[in-house]
Amino acid sequence: MAIKNLLQGINEGLRQAMEADERVVLLGEDIGKNGGVFRVTDGLQKLFGPSRVVDTPLAELGIAGAAVGLSLTGMKPVAEIQFSGFTPPILDQVICHFGRMRNRTGGRSSLPLVVRAPQGGLIHAPEHHSEAPEAYFCHTTGIKVVMPSTPEDAKGLIIAAIEDPDPVIYFEPKRLYRTVKGEVPEEKYATPLGKCRIAREGSDCTIVSWGAMVHTSLKAAEELEKSGVSVEIVDLRTLTPLDIDGVLASVRKTGRAVVAHEAPNTGSWAAEVSSLIHERAFDALKAPVQRVGSWDIRQPLFKTEHYYIPDAHRVVRGVNKTLSRVKAA
Amino acid sequence: MPLTTVAEHKTERLEVLAADGTLDASVAPRISKEKLLELFTVMTRIRVFDERAIKLQRQGRLGTYPQILGQEATQVVPALCLEPKDWLVPTYRGQGAYFARGMKLRYSLLYWGGDDRGVKFPEGNNDLMFAIPVGSHMTQAMGLAWGEKLRGTKNVSICWIGDGASSKGDFHEALTFAGVHKLGMIMFIENNQWAISLGREAQCAAETLAQKAHGYGAYGIQVDGNDALAVYKAVCEAVARGRAGEGPTVIEAITYRMGHHTTADDATRYRSNEEVAEWKAKDPLERFRKYLLKDGILDQNALDRIQKEAEEYVAEEIKEYEAFSKPNPLDMFANNFATAPWPLIEQRAELEEILREKQSRNEIPELPPAEGRFP
Ligand SMILES: Cc1ncc(C[n+]2csc(CCOP(=O)(O)OP(=O)(O)O)c2C)c(N)n1
Ligand SMILES: [Mg+2]
Repeated sequence: MAIKNLLQGINEGLRQAMEADERVVLLGEDIGKNGGVFRVTDGLQKLFGPSRVVDTPLAELGIAGAAVGLSLTGMKPVAEIQFSGFTPPILDQVICHFGRMRNRTGGRSSLPLVVRAPQGGLIHAPEHHSEAPEAYFCHTTGIKVVMPSTPEDAKGLIIAAIEDPDPVIYFEPKRLYRTVKGEVPEEKYATPLGKCRIAREGSDCTIVSWGAMVHTSLKAAEELEKSGVSVEIVDLRTLTPLDIDGVLASVRKTGRAVVAHEAPNTGSWAAEVSSLIHERAFDALKAPVQRVGSWDIRQPLFKTEHYYIPDAHRVVRGVNKTLSRVKAA
Repeated sequence: MPLTTVAEHKTERLEVLAADGTLDASVAPRISKEKLLELFTVMTRIRVFDERAIKLQRQGRLGTYPQILGQEATQVVPALCLEPKDWLVPTYRGQGAYFARGMKLRYSLLYWGGDDRGVKFPEGNNDLMFAIPVGSHMTQAMGLAWGEKLRGTKNVSICWIGDGASSKGDFHEALTFAGVHKLGMIMFIENNQWAISLGREAQCAAETLAQKAHGYGAYGIQVDGNDALAVYKAVCEAVARGRAGEGPTVIEAITYRMGHHTTADDATRYRSNEEVAEWKAKDPLERFRKYLLKDGILDQNALDRIQKEAEEYVAEEIKEYEAFSKPNPLDMFANNFATAPWPLIEQRAELEEILREKQSRNEIPELPPAEGRFP
């Protein structure tokens, strides 16, 4: 198996999905000749031509609405929004149409479309280039939300997202694009949506995480191991629909849970995960679930961004809180 | 019934200075010698600044920076057609416009250096904080012009946008309102031919962007954006129209983004060196300089002095930028609300504790005191 980075995993997944199904078309700003500002779609326009890898005018809401129309004609559009910070304009289509079309037409119409967007911070980028807006999408019914944390999953999940009959938002943790490498099978394969992954086994506390924070959590787990604390890490991979059985199995095993993510805690996806654990595994909990997220403020510019997004130290503090609660009790 | 013509529109283009600096007196604006010198001096300084900023970025002393090389006239000149109480609504590629209004260059460096203290407009100016989400400021500029109308002032708003931004729905909404309410809003399209890797023709099938004005009952004109005097004339007339209650103006200024989109971009992937060279010959500053020499407004000595002073001026601003203390992370909690609610109070205390922990383990140095107001 070849060693690839996360970006190459996505690129290969897109290419194989396009080879397998000529209805798959890519659209977005600067994705063609330029290969995307991160080069995720590099080389694809050369391979498939400008009518299947389409550079669009600068209009996000237009891109999202076009994806709806394209998919209703039987195409399988994969739209790119250049940064997750520029997804707010598409919420009009996402909230009002993406997740409602199937139901409003009594199941006669469906939208097999994908929207990809680079997500997350800590790459020294300008303002609005570092957001973690997944909760806005998770809150929206009728759509699925996916985020890989390894190159292998990046490929398998983009293929699964494209093959899925319903709209999928596929967030790409951009600081992992080139920093995370791993084996990626050559053949075309789909990583099932709605299934989490155990990124590390442990017995004292579960950290539920997704995207780049999985790697921050892995660092925290190493630190905690030094003080004799064994941490299990659940990488959600799919945020909605959540793999509730997978999460609860781990929490029942360890008796403690921390949810670590990049967005502010208030109204976050971590809030939902924490709530579900309390509702369904209260009997197994030795301490209340802790959320480790960014602060409830505007994301600062990059000179202080690393004090805004949780680092391993803050995840360790979160885990320690669940441990100390027991002693106090 | 035969078809009848119900509306006819034409779109004109204004040029005042030829490439060799020759002035066409029949269309030249009325402008004092002092104003000419002001335009030229500010353009020269922002050119020097831009070159230095790129170097700082390469040396790791600045973050991602959006170059304005080649757009000095479209940045500086409109700002110098306004009164301080007119609303300045630039884009992220707006350091020239802000500088022309008196914002110190050190603050542009701070912002692009990733420091939140980098927004400090001169007191008394109506300058708006720019938006990074492309085009989201257009409807705000319309609202500003509306507010001034409701307050009974004659203040106008001027909104810079790019050729790319003209594709956003916000463009349509802003001009629709501005037309209906006859607002003193100027939509100043800095058409620099590129929106990252997409050429102008990829944004719109119409021959010009100026003609979009007709769809909103606005006045539209195209100008040579590398011609400081054409820009000056078109903007001053648009301002007068706005003050007189005659409604919005769309100005399409034809210019060229000589640099990469930002320092994070590689323009050689999508455009030819020949094209860049072609536009280099139309350089706005060079043309202005030729005109000033030709008409005897300045001699070579004076030009050299302006250049030398610009270099000293910019060097001083860079020194000031680098003399800023490191920001205190606690300041990210300031100014989020008039009065901070409990989550912010708790979370700021938590960050304070984290900083103390890191300091006690020598992971971070002593921090300067927090500056911002909290709660
Ligand atoms: C809503 C939104 N979409 C995408 C981007 C990324 N982006 C930044 S600048 C830019 C191109 C803008 O082109 P144009 O409007 O012509 O302005 P220019 O950069 O040429 O000054 C893009 C796509 C953004 N900042 N905001
Ligand atoms: Mg442009």
